[in-house]
Amino acid sequence: MAEVERKKRLADYGLHSERLLMKRKGPGVFEQELGELEDKLMLTTVEKAVAWAQGHSIWPDTFGLACCAMEMIAIVSPRYDVARFGAEVFRSSPRQADLLIVSGRVAHKMARPLRQIYDQMLEPKWVIAMGACASSGGMFGNYAILQGVDKIVAVDVHVPGCPPRPEALLEGIVRLQEKILAGVPPAYEIREAAS
Amino acid sequence: MSHESIPGFVSEVEAHGETTVVVETARLEEAARYCREELGFNFLADIAATDYLGWNERTVAGYWGSDGGRDINRPGSWGLATKPEPKPTRFSVSYHLLRLAPGAAEAPRIRLQVWCEDGEAVPSVVPVWPTADWHEREAWDMMGIPIEGHPNLTRILMEDDWEGHPLRKDYPLGGEPVRFSSAE
Amino acid sequence: MAVVERADTRIYEGSRIPSPIPTILRVDPKLHEDGDILQVNFGPNHPSTHGVLRLIVDLNGEEVVGLEAVVGYLHTGFEKNMEQKTWWKAITYPERIDYLSFQYNELVFVLAIEKLLEVQPPEKATWMRMLLCELNRIHSHLIWLGTGALEIGAISMLWYCFRERDAVLDLFELVTGTRMHTRYFQAGGLAADIPPGFFTECRRFVDYFPRRIDEYEAILDRQQIWLERTQGLGLLSADDAIALGQSGPVLRASGVDWDLRKSDPYLAYDQVDFNVPVYYEGDVYDRYRVHMDEMRESTKIVQQCLDGMPEGPWIVDDRKIVLPPRHELHTSMESLIHHFKLVTEGYRVPAGEVYVAVESARGELGCYLVSDGGPKPWRVKFRAPSFVALEATATCMSDALVADLIAIVGSLDTVMGEVDR
Repeated sequence: MAEVERKKRLADYGLHSERLLMKRKGPGVFEQELGELEDKLMLTTVEKAVAWAQGHSIWPDTFGLACCAMEMIAIVSPRYDVARFGAEVFRSSPRQADLLIVSGRVAHKMARPLRQIYDQMLEPKWVIAMGACASSGGMFGNYAILQGVDKIVAVDVHVPGCPPRPEALLEGIVRLQEKILAGVPPAYEIREAAS
Repeated sequence: MSHESIPGFVSEVEAHGETTVVVETARLEEAARYCREELGFNFLADIAATDYLGWNERTVAGYWGSDGGRDINRPGSWGLATKPEPKPTRFSVSYHLLRLAPGAAEAPRIRLQVWCEDGEAVPSVVPVWPTADWHEREAWDMMGIPIEGHPNLTRILMEDDWEGHPLRKDYPLGGEPVRFSSAE
Repeated sequence: MAVVERADTRIYEGSRIPSPIPTILRVDPKLHEDGDILQVNFGPNHPSTHGVLRLIVDLNGEEVVGLEAVVGYLHTGFEKNMEQKTWWKAITYPERIDYLSFQYNELVFVLAIEKLLEVQPPEKATWMRMLLCELNRIHSHLIWLGTGALEIGAISMLWYCFRERDAVLDLFELVTGTRMHTRYFQAGGLAADIPPGFFTECRRFVDYFPRRIDEYEAILDRQQIWLERTQGLGLLSADDAIALGQSGPVLRASGVDWDLRKSDPYLAYDQVDFNVPVYYEGDVYDRYRVHMDEMRESTKIVQQCLDGMPEGPWIVDDRKIVLPPRHELHTSMESLIHHFKLVTEGYRVPAGEVYVAVESARGELGCYLVSDGGPKPWRVKFRAPSFVALEATATCMSDALVADLIAIVGSLDTVMGEVDR
């Protein structure tokens, strides 16, 4: 693969979705941009095949913390069925998992185990910050809660909601899939954990 | 029913259908044992520690309601600011007791209350109600009320090496200021 | 850390509560010399510990000889946060404490506020609260059954229970607009009127749900593996349970006939007819039976609520605590002022302290509220039944094998949000 410079931001790749989502609705723009990105990155066929395999079999880790965990279990349930996206195999061991869905509020006491689990995961690995508490501390702006899990791990997708509906989490997983398929590197290659 | 026979009895108040009995802090374990053995309060529901720092410092105007509507005869009800009655010491620890009789159609409750200053130790009631173990650890962890005679007084909710007692009124809320940045 | 010499915490003959620390099972010193003790950490991230619970377990072969539960990995500082918000805004917080039976937390906080305010919500609000809370009990027990059975090995139960759970959440969404954390109760009644169509849907649910419980029992009740993995484990005697402050299904499975809905009725529980299941063995299987029977009884209560739902306003009429209807703001000056004061400053609750307890899905959920007469709470403390249930782990595990650990912890039905608050 072409040399990926560390610490490049998504904006440098031409991906402005995080801002554009607010101006325009719907996933159409996102896919369009990913298409343009794909052309820019010029993935080889092998890389595309690898990306296809990785994207369609993202196995999450059982990292349910609080209320969001209930909606995370709900995506396995028959109505929302994450198995159609290849992600129904929730691994208990981080060494076997690709995706860490941080679902719930992260107390400072839990921050160390979270980072440990993240470190134990093998690359490539992706992180979804599910819910308001994982993305930014949520409604708990206090001494006990880590104000956003992107302070300690590099997050690929933030899913808003308190708790996000299972469909919202599925949308987050689908967007992550699209990113992987387009060849966007995982978040830890692009940015450090935010300060 | 008067509870004056509880050892260390100081005062008794009835409000909102609840009885609050204040006992001397030093004789708490005796009072607890008496409540369990003589009065039959065999179930300790909760131990709640409260910090009254700053209690009487600001005036409040209130609304006192009842089923029939607002109580217009009570001072403070029309917006005249009053201060709540001052409390004797900084901390109070309330023990919520329940007389649990299987199959009974009533659930008599009582609140046993002790008052203490910052740093003053409160005797442990673990020998009386073993469930008090974790509740007292939480009172120590969150409010900094040392429990004398507790078999395992360590932090329970915060990390073991945390400094400070978070639920005290002089402990800051924490968190971080929200920044809205335009670049990035 | 030195262990202080204290009187025995085994407060009566025959108690299995460990001594001197009632919540920690200490390894017998003799075993250290004879046997090979392995200390295993069931860390905070474990698929089967129902959230972020950490158990430090000492094993002698397969037997559990030492146990300590470490909590605090989900401590959120609810109580401190609620002290900074007005009464109205503070109601949003308690729901996240016990995130499986969320409306009970709201209910207990709102009942405590109403007790201090001395207002009585209208009948319709009371009955609707009862209906929603019983649906929430069903929701909580379904998740308990699904995840509990999953951990013991009956994996298919997860899918069956979550199918029904989605049906219950659909009902919540119909009434309140959101699946979880509904924030539908206000001090004085409900936030909005009950939308049309809810009662039909609810009746449909209540009609088919008992057959689903029959299905679950058909899968599990005579399944030999289930019986072997749940019967005779995690024994907790009635006296131990009371001494350890247990309540709810754990207490009722140990033979104590105690339910706050019967002994200290709140809302309108004295006007509905239901039974309280009590079993006498005190093991995991009895707790499972209590949960199943409670689901049936809750369905009965919901049915009676649907039949007996009164007409009328959904919130009290008192403008000092409740927002006036919007159309009045155009015509009445007082309404405008009330609206302004309520939205900016919030209503004030008279000074005092109360303790209100309800029978949540896990046991006695209590709220101790201290008010100084101002617009914000002075002190809010929630008595969480799961916090107390975890105190019983050391007693329940006295003669357990490592394979039973998960079954016993699961049967205590703990929610870590409640434990750590």
